[in-house]
Amino acid sequence: MGEKKPKTTRRKLRSSYISSVISISLVLFLLGILGLLILNAHKLSVYVKENISFSVIINDQVKEIEIKKLQKELDASNYIKSTEYISKETAARELQEDLGEDFIDFLGYNPLLASIDVYLYADFANPDSISLIEEDLLSYPMVKEVFYQESLIHLINENVRKIGVFLLAFSGLLFLIAITLINNTIRLSVYSKRFIIHTMQLVGATRAFIRWPFLAKSALHGILGGLCALILLTGLLSVIQKEFMEIISLRDADIVAILFTGIIVMGLILNWFSTYFAVNKYLRMEEDELYY
Amino acid sequence: MTEEAIIEFKDCSIFQTDNLILSNVSFTVNPGEFLYLIGKVGSGKTSLIKTINAQLPLKKGEARVAGYDLTMLKRKQIPYLRRKLGIVFQDFQLLTDRSVENNLSFVLRSTGWKDKKMITERIKNVLEKAGLGYKSFKMPHQLSGGEQQRVVIARALLNDPEIILADEPTGNLDPETSEGIIRTLMEISKAGRAVIMATHNYTLLKKFTARTLKCENGKIFEVDHGEEFDFTALME
Repeated sequence: MGEKKPKTTRRKLRSSYISSVISISLVLFLLGILGLLILNAHKLSVYVKENISFSVIINDQVKEIEIKKLQKELDASNYIKSTEYISKETAARELQEDLGEDFIDFLGYNPLLASIDVYLYADFANPDSISLIEEDLLSYPMVKEVFYQESLIHLINENVRKIGVFLLAFSGLLFLIAITLINNTIRLSVYSKRFIIHTMQLVGATRAFIRWPFLAKSALHGILGGLCALILLTGLLSVIQKEFMEIISLRDADIVAILFTGIIVMGLILNWFSTYFAVNKYLRMEEDELYY
Repeated sequence: MTEEAIIEFKDCSIFQTDNLILSNVSFTVNPGEFLYLIGKVGSGKTSLIKTINAQLPLKKGEARVAGYDLTMLKRKQIPYLRRKLGIVFQDFQLLTDRSVENNLSFVLRSTGWKDKKMITERIKNVLEKAGLGYKSFKMPHQLSGGEQQRVVIARALLNDPEIILADEPTGNLDPETSEGIIRTLMEISKAGRAVIMATHNYTLLKKFTARTLKCENGKIFEVDHGEEFDFTALME
């Protein structure tokens, strides 16, 4: 007594469990990518916006010490993330490098003006805030003009908004696909056992007693699927990290913890509920309905 | 209703979904009684058995099975009613994904048995009774039809039920095996359990006589023991 199932049966069962876990892990991997995108979307938009800069052009006669004082003042303001002082000489050198010829030698003087490149915090990197900041900066007598590409800033803000909306819609769709795929995988697996469920009912087993081994197995498959998805995701993250280290980082413990816990919990919950509803469906069915 | 009857139907109508199959069904079965249920295909034998084990709801009439009032039966009570019944099917309905022993232990565990030793002992006991003592490790598909039917009988005996319902238990078996199955069921009946057996096998019916109910034209009635069966008509 207590002998194991024959080898062929064990092999078939194992292969069906493996394919079920693989399907679940692939769907959870997709959800993981989605989670990664969502969790990093804000960071990404902040990164893009905080790389937008504008130049504060300083009048020619202003001394460097005064410019540095202005720079410090700007650095202290709550909307500026960082500034960079570009002296006349630095500007000339950079332009020479770009042009590939010595224009000072040709003109006989350096026509360029000193400037401060200003990088704003993401919340202020929009056309409305920038025009207010521009007004404020122009009130300084030493400031000749404020230069920025209004259309580019508008375009970046518009695109970030569009990407946000797209990401939200895409997330919804992907989540729906994930639920459908996991639900289908589980329904098929329970469907193949519908007659066994019926027989269990006929021999006097209660619904809860019939349900629990299915639920326990599905929870296990959910966790295993989640772990496989985590392995895939870790691989993907390490590849991405090499390319976009500043944006996405495995060292960002909060995001990684939320993401990894989320995937395991998602696998568990999706599997558990799909199994619960699928088994209940067959528990409620009349014998005749099982054949359709 | 009669005190000693283990099954009592009084003026019942048997429905299969919305179709009326049998009307004015009235009969009683006492403990230890062996009862044949005969009739042509589609005459309502299986529907009656399904009503007794609460697979079909009783919509009209009064019926009591093993102390349960079928008209008042709640969904949650059905498993407990079924534990008082042992069911034997023509198509066996074993759990195909597990061995004979696990088929039987599932029934015991699902009906509240927890002690492993007692479970093993009980399984050994019923398998011996059903003449299958040495096949407990086999998977159902590794057994012959007769052996599978014996497993089903063993399963039906596990909880020492008050009633055995056998729906065409010999339908898929050869005459010799069928005789063996009937003998086993008769012995169970002699041990004090009521046995209701739906059958088409009139050769066996002739050989192992017992009280007989016949389903015909939407009615059920008792066939007199002295009456000669019209086998040809029944076989149609």
